[in-house]
Amino acid sequence: MEILIKNGFVFDPINHINGERMDIAIRNGKIVDSVDESSAKVINASGMIVMPGGVDIHAHIAGSEVNAGRLLRPEDHAKDVEPKTPITRSGVGYSIPSTFTTGYRYSRMGYTTVMNPSMPPLEAKHTHEELSDTPIIDKATFPLLGDWWFALEYLSRGQIEECAKHIAWMITSTKGYAIKIVNPGGLESWGFGKNVESLDTEVPYFNITPREIIRGLCKVNKMLNLPHTIHVHTNNLGKPGNFATCLETMKCVEDLAVDEKPVIHITHCQFCAFKGEDWRTMSSGAEEIAKYVNNRSHVTLDMGQVIFTDTTTMTADGPFQYTLYELSGNKWVNHDVETETSSGIVPFHYRRKSYVHAVQWTIGLELALLIKDTWKIYMTTDHPNGGPFTSYPRIIAWLMSSQARKETLKKVNPRARSKSLLPTIDRELDFYEIAIMTRVGQAKALGLKEKGHLGVGADADVAIYKINPELTDPSKDYKLVRKAFERAAYTIKSGEIVVKDGEVVKHVEGATIWLKIKTSSPIEVSEDIKRRFREYWTVEYENYPVSEKYLAISNPKEVEASI
Amino acid sequence: MVNLYPKREFKVPIFAECINPEIFEDKTLSEIAELEVWEGNKRKKLGEFFKIEEVKAETEEPTITLYGDLSRIRRIGTKMRRGIIKIQGDVGMHLGEEMEGGKIVVRGNVDSWAGSMMKGGIIEIHGNASHYLGAPYRGSTVGMRGGRIIVHGNAGNEVGAYMRKGIIKVYGNVGQFVGLRMRKGTIFVAGDAEGRMGACMKGGKIIVCGHVDSILPSFTIENVKGKVKVEADEIAQGPFYLFLGDLTENGMGKLYVSKEKNSHLGFYEKYL
Amino acid sequence: MEIVKAVTCPVCGSLCDDIEVVMENGKIVDVRNACAAGAAKFLNYNCEHRILKPLIRKNGEFVEVSLDEAIRKAAEILANASYPILYGWSSTSCEAVRVGLELAEEIGGVIDNTSTVCHGPSILSIQDVGIPSCTLGQIRHRADLVVYWGSNPWSAHPRHIERYTAFSEGRFQKSTWRRYLAKIRALIAKKKLERAFKRIFFKREISVPPHLRYEPPPFLERKERKLIVIDVRRTKSAEIADYFIKVEPGKDYELLQALRMLIRDQEIETDKVAGVPVEYLEEVADVMVNCDFGILFFGVGLTMSGAKMRNIDAAICLTRDLNMRTKFVIMPMRGHFNVTGANVVSTWQTGYPFAVDFSLGYPRYNPGETSVVDILLRGESDASLIIASDPASSFPKKAVEHLAKTPLIVIDPHMNVTAQIADVVIPSAFVGIEAEGTAYRMDHVPLPLKKIVEPPEGILPDEEIVRRILVEVRRLKGIGGS
Repeated sequence: MEILIKNGFVFDPINHINGERMDIAIRNGKIVDSVDESSAKVINASGMIVMPGGVDIHAHIAGSEVNAGRLLRPEDHAKDVEPKTPITRSGVGYSIPSTFTTGYRYSRMGYTTVMNPSMPPLEAKHTHEELSDTPIIDKATFPLLGDWWFALEYLSRGQIEECAKHIAWMITSTKGYAIKIVNPGGLESWGFGKNVESLDTEVPYFNITPREIIRGLCKVNKMLNLPHTIHVHTNNLGKPGNFATCLETMKCVEDLAVDEKPVIHITHCQFCAFKGEDWRTMSSGAEEIAKYVNNRSHVTLDMGQVIFTDTTTMTADGPFQYTLYELSGNKWVNHDVETETSSGIVPFHYRRKSYVHAVQWTIGLELALLIKDTWKIYMTTDHPNGGPFTSYPRIIAWLMSSQARKETLKKVNPRARSKSLLPTIDRELDFYEIAIMTRVGQAKALGLKEKGHLGVGADADVAIYKINPELTDPSKDYKLVRKAFERAAYTIKSGEIVVKDGEVVKHVEGATIWLKIKTSSPIEVSEDIKRRFREYWTVEYENYPVSEKYLAISNPKEVEASI
Repeated sequence: MVNLYPKREFKVPIFAECINPEIFEDKTLSEIAELEVWEGNKRKKLGEFFKIEEVKAETEEPTITLYGDLSRIRRIGTKMRRGIIKIQGDVGMHLGEEMEGGKIVVRGNVDSWAGSMMKGGIIEIHGNASHYLGAPYRGSTVGMRGGRIIVHGNAGNEVGAYMRKGIIKVYGNVGQFVGLRMRKGTIFVAGDAEGRMGACMKGGKIIVCGHVDSILPSFTIENVKGKVKVEADEIAQGPFYLFLGDLTENGMGKLYVSKEKNSHLGFYEKYL
Repeated sequence: MEIVKAVTCPVCGSLCDDIEVVMENGKIVDVRNACAAGAAKFLNYNCEHRILKPLIRKNGEFVEVSLDEAIRKAAEILANASYPILYGWSSTSCEAVRVGLELAEEIGGVIDNTSTVCHGPSILSIQDVGIPSCTLGQIRHRADLVVYWGSNPWSAHPRHIERYTAFSEGRFQKSTWRRYLAKIRALIAKKKLERAFKRIFFKREISVPPHLRYEPPPFLERKERKLIVIDVRRTKSAEIADYFIKVEPGKDYELLQALRMLIRDQEIETDKVAGVPVEYLEEVADVMVNCDFGILFFGVGLTMSGAKMRNIDAAICLTRDLNMRTKFVIMPMRGHFNVTGANVVSTWQTGYPFAVDFSLGYPRYNPGETSVVDILLRGESDASLIIASDPASSFPKKAVEHLAKTPLIVIDPHMNVTAQIADVVIPSAFVGIEAEGTAYRMDHVPLPLKKIVEPPEGILPDEEIVRRILVEVRRLKGIGGS
């Protein structure tokens, strides 16, 4: 099928196209030079914005922890339902939508690629089964490896190559895409109900510190030539004063960077940018973090913006979730996974009038606006932790309009307002920068070469929004901007029109992208390793890997490791 | 004022949220007959199920009166804000769910979840009520937030679970877990309670004038009271044992249990 | 002779995946590592009750028909129904459940799995208070205290103790089987002596005096795994326990709340709770607080008695409270091998784990209202499809009567009680033996089910049968596509 998108204002930062009026041609799922206008399906995009399809670097959309969240919250679903249509399957929202609804709602906002950032490797099949039931969007998933016994043991003994080989085996057999590290060392400690306090606290029984884990896996990441950096959820997340831990974490891999390339991604940075001694004195550490990041090139971040709403928090950070349960008194799910990781879930309501919640809201936006280079910070809510992904258009409005920020600021806790830098920040992002923060930068950070741009050869994932940058001033008309990003005029996925006027018009399956890592001497599957396997896990070696049949559409990327 | 008479026997569940005085108001009979109703998975019209008649109004309030066996009909009076619904027969689940105002009177029995998540108004049931009277939806911790429920017969399990405000009066007996996890408000039971009264309650008041088997171990005896105020103009004559709890939830709820009907609880007096 | 290794056992929720099946000429001749129930399933699945041809009831008698005819008949029944129910799903693969949900959505029916009659109450409680839990390996590596409440793993999950709890060996915990073995030997010897003594001198039964049951065990001082069993009767599992609490039937809730009081160091104003002296409970509470990692497993003995779902509510709150003092987790002992999978798939597709009602076009959930047992008891459904389950042998009589009264389709390998009262019977292959798929262990770990032997000719797996019915329903409704 051929499509010609005519006359749109194109924003394609990778190819340095900034709102120029031009045509985009699509054939067989790819962007091409030109198509025959008489036979192609022509979309008249005049007066509209054309961008690459949205890319989300961090959203919990599938797997055991997300599903436990769904199970936990019938009251969240009952208020937001999606009836079946002749085209789409039915489902429920709000903060933890069912799989079909997740795929549809992303594509309705013009998003076409989503990263699922935390997968317990032992339960990888579950994650992939859900991803395969998540239609339209392409996705990838990151195995949690920061507290895996094999990794801890090899790293503590200094056997970095051996560690790398095992990580390569793990990513390939669980069909993963990147190394996810959550509260390194803390999750192993949580196995006995403890936590680690700093980068240099020793992990009980393992003779290793969080610093050594992060540095070790950062080196492994480089040895394996993985397309994305290590993806880090820092220690001490969600605790007053943790901006120092966050800075330490970024600093600890500074020397591992070469050629100004990023080596670490700090995810949902808002949650680890708290200053203060306790909740009463808690304040924003965004300025310090922005200052550091502005002078370095080895870090990328995502926001983890908070939205004032009732949502469901879920992370692999078991001890953090327990703290959140203690703070809120809400229902609490904990799920520790043998040999690997933990996780927790607590429903949470961010309230405008709460001092702490309002400060959190300001931190996310301060980070996004104080970090000068939009290629370094991406828009997320850490869905659903800061709020559901469906609130992205609202964040776009805040980023593009200081007036929109002021409107919300008026309603938040006055003490939080008076202490925040936000009222003094005039910066307003333009569509070019929004394109970077919501798709292009994210695709680049993830090393997804066929995504995030509209050059010839790119995947034909395109979003068209009904807003005219020549006639609309986002600073004033931020409500129009929000509406336009809520309901894409068109979403094209792999060369097919899947959304028109904000409604799904076609149900297609999306692919799962994963890494096939080749090492010169992969780990040998000996009887010895099978025995060790049996000692560490309660399943057989043969039953551990995820076979390709679990993927609705499999999209493996071959990676040549340097070991 | 509109009267509804069922045209036939109902087998599969029927969802009739449209039976609400506010929705009927300012509509002609033929417009009312067109209102949407679900019979199982089939979308139908109210007129297919009921003979609809207009009668001379007795009050100013918009009123609907239903006759016959309505035990398969669910969600009557859901989210109702004003007016009167009179039901001359048995009625199905979710009667007056999330009701905010107005009045529902039933001259028969009512199925589960009546007055669920109610915020205001009155539900008066002359027969029996089933389980989860005034309780919230699955997974929610916000139960009844206002209004009154009066049951002249018996009620089932978990009456007033997660209650935050308002009053429930049951003149018959109640099942297990009356006032489960309630925070505020009053539950009055003139008859017996099956047990586990006030489990995990944090606040509020439960009064049981009849027999109870036992008190949960997580309650502590506080006093013996001669009488208890039920509401502004109503006092229950005791004496009552007053227990506080539920201590496992650091609760300070008050549980009054008739002393006369529960002599087997006399051993608690040694702790006074 | 050929040996198939790492086979997952399709019997109970423990889902042991280390089974070795010995094959000869395409037939299973031996099974290694399995418990008696597992071995029996692999060796005797192909018994005389097997159905080999689709059946339709015509004029009251079963008549053998072609698969196409049976599928067509089933689709007609479902497509025309106003409130059909689709029940079972816990002894089949996740792949079959996925198609089942699509079918339920297409026909606007109610889909429910056997949780509704086993751990449904547990799920309702989880939805009220959450659940601190973990995978079974965590317990093997770390747990120094194991509590079984209202469950008898020795009989219902025979390898649970050996693979995951007291007798397993982990990184931080050694197996205690030698100690138990010694204890059991001593017990057996003692019983033999007693019996002999009775035979010789009394010639009548003597019951053990009740105070002996609360005898504190001799192992209190050791930092070794401890086992507590709480049940209404002294089960086989209780025999190997360090502590056994015999709870008065239906009074588990009181016992749980009492333990919650004790771990909060609060005083209880009665001498006994649920028939157990408070002093003994204080001792047990101390053991709970002082462990490094505790686990509470509970079975249907707790979910289906007395306060039902609120028992689990209290058990979870007890576990949650214990986390203020130490590490403690809790897990339901799931029965059918893939009942967890049925919950998991239903949850990711609809948001709800069981009792999902699609009649209004979107998923709705309210057990008690949308659960199949209750629907049948109220006589509301007008057609049923039962798959991989035998409700006629376990549901209340009134529910079964309604099931028989309305058109009934059964998909099952066996001529079970429900199939005998059905209108359409479609034979299916045994998933995990004759068909592959995925199942979820009780701790939510997904495991592959293997196809080891060919099914009898013409017999399809559940997934395929349900898909064909779905295609036929769509054809009848005039919806094109696959």
